[in-house]
Amino acid sequence: MAYINFININKYFGENQVLNNINLEIEQGQLVTLLGPSGCGKSTLLRCLAGLESITDGKIFMDGVDITTADPKERNIGMVFQQYSLFPNMNVTENIAFGLKMKHMSKTEIAKKVAEAIEMVDLTGKEKAYPSKLSGGQQQRVALARAIVTKPKVLLLDEPLSAIDAKLRKSLQTSIRKIQKELGITSIFVTHDQDEAMVMSDVIHLFHDGRLEQSDTPINIYTNPRTKFAAEFIGHYNVITAEQFQKIIPGAQNTSENIAIRPEAMEMSLIPFRERDNFHQFEGKIVSHLSHGNVLRYHVEVNGIILEADVLFRSYYLYDNGQKVYITVENRNCLMVS
Amino acid sequence: MFKSKRYLLAILPFLLLVIGYELVPILMIVIRSFQPQGHFGFTLEHYQAIFQKRLYQQAVINSIIIAVISSVIGIIIAFFGAKAANDSNSKWRNFFINILNMTSNFAGIPLAFAFIILLGNMGVLVLVGKAVGITSLENFNVYSYKGLLLTYIYFQIPLATLLLIPIFDGLRKEWKEAVLLLGGNSFIYWTKVAIPAILPSILATISVLFSNAIAAYSTAYALLANNYSLLPIRISEQFVGDLVQRKEFGSALAVVLMLTMIISTMINNYFIKRSRGGASL
Amino acid sequence: MKKSGLSKVVIVVICSYLTIPLLLTFIYSIFTEWKDILPSGLTFKYYKEILSDSYFINSVIRTLMISAIPFVTCTAVVLLALYVIEVYHPEWDKYMQMLCNIPYALQGIILAVSVLSLYVSAPYPFSNRFVMIVLTYCIVILPYIYRGLKNSLDSINANRLIEAAQMLGATKFYAFFAVVVPNIISGISIVAMLSISIVFGDFAIVNIVGGSYYQTAQMYLYKKLFVSGQASSVIIVVMFGLTLILSAVVNLLNKRWKKSREE
Repeated sequence: MAYINFININKYFGENQVLNNINLEIEQGQLVTLLGPSGCGKSTLLRCLAGLESITDGKIFMDGVDITTADPKERNIGMVFQQYSLFPNMNVTENIAFGLKMKHMSKTEIAKKVAEAIEMVDLTGKEKAYPSKLSGGQQQRVALARAIVTKPKVLLLDEPLSAIDAKLRKSLQTSIRKIQKELGITSIFVTHDQDEAMVMSDVIHLFHDGRLEQSDTPINIYTNPRTKFAAEFIGHYNVITAEQFQKIIPGAQNTSENIAIRPEAMEMSLIPFRERDNFHQFEGKIVSHLSHGNVLRYHVEVNGIILEADVLFRSYYLYDNGQKVYITVENRNCLMVS
Repeated sequence: MFKSKRYLLAILPFLLLVIGYELVPILMIVIRSFQPQGHFGFTLEHYQAIFQKRLYQQAVINSIIIAVISSVIGIIIAFFGAKAANDSNSKWRNFFINILNMTSNFAGIPLAFAFIILLGNMGVLVLVGKAVGITSLENFNVYSYKGLLLTYIYFQIPLATLLLIPIFDGLRKEWKEAVLLLGGNSFIYWTKVAIPAILPSILATISVLFSNAIAAYSTAYALLANNYSLLPIRISEQFVGDLVQRKEFGSALAVVLMLTMIISTMINNYFIKRSRGGASL
Repeated sequence: MKKSGLSKVVIVVICSYLTIPLLLTFIYSIFTEWKDILPSGLTFKYYKEILSDSYFINSVIRTLMISAIPFVTCTAVVLLALYVIEVYHPEWDKYMQMLCNIPYALQGIILAVSVLSLYVSAPYPFSNRFVMIVLTYCIVILPYIYRGLKNSLDSINANRLIEAAQMLGATKFYAFFAVVVPNIISGISIVAMLSISIVFGDFAIVNIVGGSYYQTAQMYLYKKLFVSGQASSVIIVVMFGLTLILSAVVNLLNKRWKKSREE
């Protein structure tokens, strides 16, 4: 049995069903991400695991034990919140020591462990500071230290970096991943940012409208989305209907499913490519382009259908609007999604 | 997760306090107002007496009049005061607010006493009036409706101003700038933009002032003895003092007092709704 | 600029109007006679008289008691109720809000006669005047205490703090009273001042409910009103001064508490 098991989880808020038959397994030592847009249920599932919300039916097992109805404080789970939730009347040391104090550890033990935790999150020198005097990034690091110092079985992070600015977010992502690997602690990360999920996770669980849409490693979920929603959320896929696909590639295999193509999978050129097996080729006209720093995103019109094609900005060549271009795409990069 | 409901005990003291000293007393007052004196039953005789006997009619009318006048005058003065506070730098504004806070506590008997010193038989202003020859000052009777009104206005001003100042803070200076840029002037800004925007809040404040004045007891008690009939005094007479205790009648008077407050709030809310129209502060 | 000049004038005029009665009272208290336009006979003997009158001192002590005790009681009662509501039943909050707003409409006299007529013939201890006065004041200050505490709770996002404490092993009770409450202490102190000044200045409740059974400073003042003008003015000045001192003390304690957290 996996380390954490969610079995047939259903949850209602009044009439509203927020979690629909969720079955999910998490292996020990992994960092998994619950990813999805706002309101998809990912935070709710996390809070159910924490014991802060009750579930309508289903069971949750952790390390072989049924914790479905256990109190939060009995579950031995650490949690980092989006708004840090540091106790304003206590300084950094007292905040971090809180969980240890609840376990009735001796003062010397507490002091030692707190010092270790402070060093681990790189906050040496700030022991006596109060939360109101710390920056957002520092506060989050205190929150992290506070959650892991009690050596919980599982660490939960509920959108911890949403309130932090972009540059700082990257370094914190790295720190969190590093600490998690060092301690080997099973961690569940909730975010709506797919880039963040890709960078941090061993496994991504994609949520949509209370349902588990797809679970896989970051690369697999990026290259093989199984549904239209997954394709549109994870990457920047072009998703077109079967009819539209027929228009672009006449004579393609009859299919009734939607087709998803990654923009970077479309190669462009001013002269036709030579024909190859397993490759589709078609003509199009450049409509517009947008610069994304190192990537140029072109909008190309093919038989009335607009597709996005991404080109790495290697040379300083730009296609003009209105130019005719030839595009080639590998067959297997035209994915069927439901 | 909630295995025991023991935590509900914590809300018990609150419920007991509120039931025992807020809900039940009011309920009893209303019930008693319909009971004949001394025994059980149902009667409207108390209410009939209130609306038919001159003494009590006067009390109701006097109370309403003095409440309305003091509220209106109070809010006009407070309007200019709050505007001045809004236009000032923080030093003057804080000074003003401190004085307002300090003097808002100066009500009731101390206030009545101060006005007696000022305008009583040997009051300072009366003596000045005698010396300089201003008969209105010379003959001013502070133990009258006029004297009472002055004291009521006095204690309405701090309350009204303190309530209006935050409302003025909601007026954005960009609005005035927009009016000026579009060719208007200060007067237009005030009459067409600012006052309509804060009118609902001003009306709500008048409601507070009205309730504050109509139930005021101490100041009237100290100044009036029996010269001028006011509802709160008539009410307390039925429950304490030398006259025969008439709890049921007093309860009816109290209910009438509560009704004036409720009706004034309802009238006020009607005007607030009318003035709301679109957005408001 | 013309505008700021005008507003200064308005402020000065209003403040003068408001402080003149106070000043007059003070002047009255330090002169023996005021039969002409200007008073005569500067003296502090009236202060000596009143401040050494044990009846007065006792009445002030009684006033302090009926200010402090309702404040402490009401705060404790409301905190306990807020514990249940914030942690377990947030949907009950709108009822609590309604109950705490009703006293705004039960100004002075109405509440006083209601409580008096209900409990004057009740069994002991409810018929005890002191008990009646204290519990009535609890209701009088209830709206302010509720509003102050609730605003403080909202501003520190109490629910999140309680969740965080729970995840770290605390019981809900410990989380509320050891983590949340210390953070709203400064909110409590502002409300303290408001409550105490309301009770200090009240006469209706103490006169109607207490009557001659419980002599507070306000009752003492009323008695002296018809006996000696100077004595009355001294009492007024002393009571007013007391209110100012109390509020200054509370402010100071508040600043000190804030400072100790800013190291």
